[in-house]
Amino acid sequence: MTAKQKTPTIIQHKSFPRFDLGQRWEHLLLILSGLVLLLTGLPQKYPSLAISQDILSTPEQVNLIRQVHHIAALVLTLELLYHLGRAIVLLVRRKLPGDMLPTWQDVLDAWQMLQYLLFLRKDKPRFGKYNFEQKVTYWFLFFGFGIMTFTGFIIWFPVQVTQVLPGGVVPAAKLAHSTESIVAAIFILVWHIYHVHFERLNLSMFTGRLSEEEMQAYHAKEYERLTGKKNQPGEKS
Amino acid sequence: MTTPSSQRRTIWWIAAGMLALLLGISLTTRASAGQPAQETEKYCLSCHGNPDLHMTLPSGETLSLYVSQDVIKDSVHSPLGIECEACHTNLSTYPHPAVEYQNKRELSRALYQACQKCHSENYKKAQDSMHAQAATAGNAEAPVCTDCHGAHDVKIPDQPRSLISETCSQCHTDIVNTYKQSVHGEALLANNPDVPVCTDCHGVHNIQDPRTAQFRVQSPELCAGCHANKELMAKYGLNADVYDIYKRSWHGVDISVYKARWPTIQHSSAVCTDCHGIHDIRKADDPNSHVNPTNLLATCQKCHPAAGPNWTDAWTGHNQISLERTPFLYYVNTFYTSLTPLVLWACILYVALQIIRAIVDRVRNSLP
Repeated sequence: MTAKQKTPTIIQHKSFPRFDLGQRWEHLLLILSGLVLLLTGLPQKYPSLAISQDILSTPEQVNLIRQVHHIAALVLTLELLYHLGRAIVLLVRRKLPGDMLPTWQDVLDAWQMLQYLLFLRKDKPRFGKYNFEQKVTYWFLFFGFGIMTFTGFIIWFPVQVTQVLPGGVVPAAKLAHSTESIVAAIFILVWHIYHVHFERLNLSMFTGRLSEEEMQAYHAKEYERLTGKKNQPGEKS
Repeated sequence: MTTPSSQRRTIWWIAAGMLALLLGISLTTRASAGQPAQETEKYCLSCHGNPDLHMTLPSGETLSLYVSQDVIKDSVHSPLGIECEACHTNLSTYPHPAVEYQNKRELSRALYQACQKCHSENYKKAQDSMHAQAATAGNAEAPVCTDCHGAHDVKIPDQPRSLISETCSQCHTDIVNTYKQSVHGEALLANNPDVPVCTDCHGVHNIQDPRTAQFRVQSPELCAGCHANKELMAKYGLNADVYDIYKRSWHGVDISVYKARWPTIQHSSAVCTDCHGIHDIRKADDPNSHVNPTNLLATCQKCHPAAGPNWTDAWTGHNQISLERTPFLYYVNTFYTSLTPLVLWACILYVALQIIRAIVDRVRNSLP
């Protein structure tokens, strides 16, 4: 009985929920469909490269590549529709969290961050649940994927589309689709991969949670809001 | 009053003269070695100059054996000293050996082989041609050298240049008639030296089957030979970018993929001739042109049967992007050449600054 009263010293790592299971599944679908779309799209965009010609080496291969591209496109489209539908349902129920909406505070944060990066400021600004970098990621890719989905369907069904829309949208959609894909790929590679893998390893999109230390260091305002505690002074960010 | 001694002297003079003549003849023969010795024309024409000379072949056809002095004089060969025996190598003796040919065509198909004696390169090329293949497949009417160039009346084949299409029209009459009404054919008949005649696209002696997938997939380059030539196109106020823009178009990209690895597979992606026509190419503003705005939709519908009236605007008409002609394309292009690179570079620069700051902080922290 006495042994039971002895409480063993357990180091408790407190963590905070960040992404629910649905959001994590959405992200996984984005990665998978996006990667398949990029890999099957590149040989079509650069057909003069030897590697593209290896991939597109027979008419059957070209058909296969196009079909895979179209299937992945449908997966991505369904995911985008789900994402938008969910946002609308939450909005109607007045339950849509506004954390991801850009605010004036983000502009100030960006300005302060720039000063910090140029050694004009000692500390980084204190961020809420999503900092401006994460909002830029979300909205850049939201519109990027939106453009690619919209233009993708135009060039998939040009004959049907031009029954309604003027013909000039077809070559414009083709240009937008193929250019936007490269823009988005560069953006993800440079901006997103740096922020979640190199600046620090941030796996919250897969685990769903952020540790207390991470919350204090990178989302101080949110930490404060959730716990009522001030970020400990002297904590290096 | 001749004495025996003067007679003897005369004989010596004659003998010396004959020796000199013999020597002279043998020397000149040696000097012109390689060219057949020609003194046969006059001799042959002593019989073959008779317009009524003829024979009947086993097939029942009457073969005229008359050769006109005038025709021979106007040919390229006779004035160069290339006479009858150069080609009729088996007729060097009289009486001639018996004629073995059953009919006229068989005779032509045998005699043209003499051409290779001098024109071996072109002869070999012709043996690889579509025409030779047709002959091998059993078509005795397939042309041999003499059908295009003539036999006794061989002339320079491209003087005037329109003679080439006349030559082809002996068999390909309908096509040449169509061609004559095309923009190229009309200009040719107006003595324009720049437009293509049959042989510019089809080749001369090694003419290949233009209906193969391989010919089709390479045909845009054929057009580009002139239509991507800036100087030549400027002369006629034509756009020399058409080929480059085509290559970037949907059709052109398709063709480049086909051409790269499987040029022999038949496919339906449009090449120049699918829209502009082949022998009936006309100016785009000609109401009969397949690509005239009034006919363009029908031309597109050959491959895109469900296309509606808006469809033709989806084709940028080989034009560079412009606000007036292709506004949607213009705005998208402007967006992606100005705003997007700006945003992308801002992101890249920002990350670069972050990396620098992170390294500096790490170095500072490691210092005592």
